Amino acid sequence: MTLTTLAATPAPTDATPVLSVRDLRITFPSEAGPVEAVRGVDFDLLPGRTLGIVGESGSGKSATAMAVMGLLPPSAELRGQVLLGGRDLIGLGDKELSALRGSSIGMVFQDPLSALTPIFSVGRLLSDALRVHQDLTKRAAWEQAVELLDLVGIPDPRGRAKSFPHEFSGGMRQRVVIAMAIANKPSVLVADEPTTALDVTVQAQILDVLRLAQQETGAGLVLITHDLGVVAGHADDIAVMYAGRFVERADVDELFRRPTMPYTARLLAAVPTVDSGVHRPLVPIGGEPPALVDLPGGCPFASRCAVAQDACRADEPALREITGHGHVACLRADEIADGTLDPAGDTGPDDGPGGSGPEATGEVVLRVEDLVKTFPVTKGALLKRRVGTLHAVNRVSFELRAGETLGLVGESGSGKTTTLLEVLRLKRPEGGRIEVAGTDIGTVDSAARVRELRQDVQIVMQDPLGALNPRLPVFQLLAEPLQAIGRDRESIRSRVHELLALVGLDASVSGRFPAALSGGQRQRVGIARALATEPKLLALDEPLSALDVSVQAGVINLLARLKRELGLAYLVVAHDLAVVRYISDRIAVMYLGHIVETGDTESIFSDPRHPYTRALLSAIPVPDPQRERARERVVLQGEQPSATQPPAGCVFVDRCPLYRLADEEVRGRCRTERPEPTAVAGRPGHQYACHAV
Amino acid sequence: MVRHVIRKAAGWLLMIVVATNATYFLASWFLDPRSNFKELRPVRTEEQIDRALAPYNLNPQEPLLHRWWDWFTSVVFHFDWGKSPTGVSVNGEIGYRALISGELVIIATILSVVIGVTLAVYTASRQYGWADRISQAVSIAVFNIPTSVAALAVVFVAIWLNQNAGLHFLYVAGENSPGVEGLFPTIGDRLLHLILPTLSLTLMGYVGYHLTQRSLLLDTINADFVRTAQATGLTRSKAIRRHALRAALIPTATSVAFSIPAMFTGAVITETIFGWNGMGRYFIQTISKNDVHGTVATAAFAAALTAIGAILADIATVFLDPRVRVN
Repeated sequence: MTLTTLAATPAPTDATPVLSVRDLRITFPSEAGPVEAVRGVDFDLLPGRTLGIVGESGSGKSATAMAVMGLLPPSAELRGQVLLGGRDLIGLGDKELSALRGSSIGMVFQDPLSALTPIFSVGRLLSDALRVHQDLTKRAAWEQAVELLDLVGIPDPRGRAKSFPHEFSGGMRQRVVIAMAIANKPSVLVADEPTTALDVTVQAQILDVLRLAQQETGAGLVLITHDLGVVAGHADDIAVMYAGRFVERADVDELFRRPTMPYTARLLAAVPTVDSGVHRPLVPIGGEPPALVDLPGGCPFASRCAVAQDACRADEPALREITGHGHVACLRADEIADGTLDPAGDTGPDDGPGGSGPEATGEVVLRVEDLVKTFPVTKGALLKRRVGTLHAVNRVSFELRAGETLGLVGESGSGKTTTLLEVLRLKRPEGGRIEVAGTDIGTVDSAARVRELRQDVQIVMQDPLGALNPRLPVFQLLAEPLQAIGRDRESIRSRVHELLALVGLDASVSGRFPAALSGGQRQRVGIARALATEPKLLALDEPLSALDVSVQAGVINLLARLKRELGLAYLVVAHDLAVVRYISDRIAVMYLGHIVETGDTESIFSDPRHPYTRALLSAIPVPDPQRERARERVVLQGEQPSATQPPAGCVFVDRCPLYRLADEEVRGRCRTERPEPTAVAGRPGHQYACHAV
Repeated sequence: MVRHVIRKAAGWLLMIVVATNATYFLASWFLDPRSNFKELRPVRTEEQIDRALAPYNLNPQEPLLHRWWDWFTSVVFHFDWGKSPTGVSVNGEIGYRALISGELVIIATILSVVIGVTLAVYTASRQYGWADRISQAVSIAVFNIPTSVAALAVVFVAIWLNQNAGLHFLYVAGENSPGVEGLFPTIGDRLLHLILPTLSLTLMGYVGYHLTQRSLLLDTINADFVRTAQATGLTRSKAIRRHALRAALIPTATSVAFSIPAMFTGAVITETIFGWNGMGRYFIQTISKNDVHGTVATAAFAAALTAIGAILADIATVFLDPRVRVN
């Protein structure tokens, strides 16, 4: 793709919109009072165009999508208009709406793992979807279903149509969901976070399928996401949603060139990016989005805004047109649009990560050598026969020093979490050795010594809501690890307050239950709990993936500060490379249980050697429409194979773009010989395992 | 599938054989038919009693293994399950009573399942609505009423109706009226006699299905795949019936299949109150009258029903969840 495609973007201003939403308002009843989830949303969707709706959780974007589909629970109260081809959908009964759902509007859901009925074959699901609206024989519907599966890129569609959803991978299931959505050629497609649950390499494939589906049907697409990178490359227009309203709506290029609503500007500044160039600090947005119960007057963003004035707190600004920049709901939009005001204000990087670099010369906290972990694959109901071995982790070695962060990166199923859990298990590994703070775990035999070691190694979980016992207040949550190591009451009390201050939480939080905290606060409690026993090594399993962008940046900065102050070593597992770049000093890229490339963060990002690392990096969408469209991408074919039968040679051989280009001699080596780590000249510590580079 | 059913059936057959023979030995040890003669006047001598029992293969002087072998061979080769201490054929009794119980139990079970599941679907789709709350309150109340109380209440209401409304078709006792001739009048008469006991059994039976099916369905009703089904153009109630209910029915199908044997032998109270001579009363009678052969045959009958129930449950599971076929 080249820059010329930018100019070729069609602008059919005279086309009639397929979907018009006018002053949509949605209210849900709750115990605290009515929640105004959506407070007046307007938009027009033209055929063939894509509207991206971006917002954080709770901003009302999913409620808007559900309202368009008529799938809100009956307790929700709707006002305004949703005009589909001139017909207002609000107030229609379930029967009338069901005639439109699937035929005029199709929807793609977030989680493909749960979106398909497990007891029907995908062919049956698709032909049912066809037969709801079309008078087809079973046979004809099945034929069409097979064609649809072919269209969305399912290999061997005729054979696979008989398979059940659980026999497909996440990406393949999402293709099926897309096929169901476009089965009856709807004029409107709604995609609610279609790639959030998927790996980056699969995300790129699914976005392509979605684009293809849109071309095939000529439908207007509403693409709902929290990921600014996804909309940058795939949307024509973007609406930014905050507290139930659109706060900025503009053409994609204008929006990213000069974000005019301070919220949009700050959101963009808070997104970790991977594009080559400078490593700019992340600027978190302070505070949390407001609760939508009894919203006070004024701009809902005013309390978090750096450039808010008194007038902002008096009345809520309406969405108004700014010359040359779409619509913005901000009193100071004109100043920002003409460049006289910086929407980020003068809040510099308050607490930038900084300090990352080769300064890590502390003692070795964790040494893993040739770690092996396998799982038996069994078959049979009564007598479990072992029919195979799943090689989850295969000869993985790395070293981690105090004050250093190592990021383990890879797709799901690459063995990164298994590696982490093997370290945390504190038992003799199946193969190889693990050394924690100078002690070889395999030689530790007394339970007391294991408990001592346990203090040195702590974990922070992915989902803070699941990781904190909902029935204990924060004080108890933090006191528990201290009680376990036998501290007395007085020292526990003072340590808990110390911990809260350390992670930037107010002491008043200690009496609250996890449910009463926001996502960012919960993750801070999770970090405080892990720090209670003064560990040397902190294992972080996807520590940021459950958090919103504006909150994420704050936690990234907190982790950086804690590392600097306490001299901690972090072992981070994450699938989001952009986030990893901001917190790691070194990165190890894993594929099918092997480390395929390892090195300093900056050398991995600036000079990736292994073809898998390159593909992984290029799959990440960049929140910049021009570069996103112009850059060259390596879209990997297929998906990670099963670890039960890894290839004899290089594990990446089936999907490797270099393998296809390589000559016969190299190909032979790729197939038969496992590549050994090779050092990159002039870059100590940067190693990769590939025959073809 | 057929091969799977045959394999399962063979396994269950073995199980029935083992259980029945074990019951034979247990019953022979604990049930003493001689005590039936203790109360008779004139007092019989031991020899007289033994002689009276000998023709029925119940003579305690005969070694147990001999008696067992005679009984076992006659069951295997002639399907003759022996005679009671008074010489009544067990085969005849069970055949007649199984039919009576069958009338009662099968209709009541079908009604319980249909009513229970229908109510569950209706109320689960309207969770915490007034229909849900009321029906749940009623079900819980009924759940806590003992069978005898409920059955007697049904009888009283029927008598009251008969007296006040001048109805004469609600029979409160027996499975048929004496002296009815002809095919259709007999069927009609039997059906009328069925009304009240079936009503009583259904009342006790539907509650369990309603409450469990409701909570099973609530687990799946808000699943993402039901929403996807709605998004393809199904109405909410259709999406629930086609996509949510089917998965949620599997545990119910299993529990229905296994409850049939318990219903056959467990409807004692209902049978007693309505004066029906079904399997439940027979089971109690055989034990109290030291009828070894009758007890063993009832146990074998229940074991066979359990086997049939289990196989039906397997078939139902495969029918409801085609994924089972894949594995």
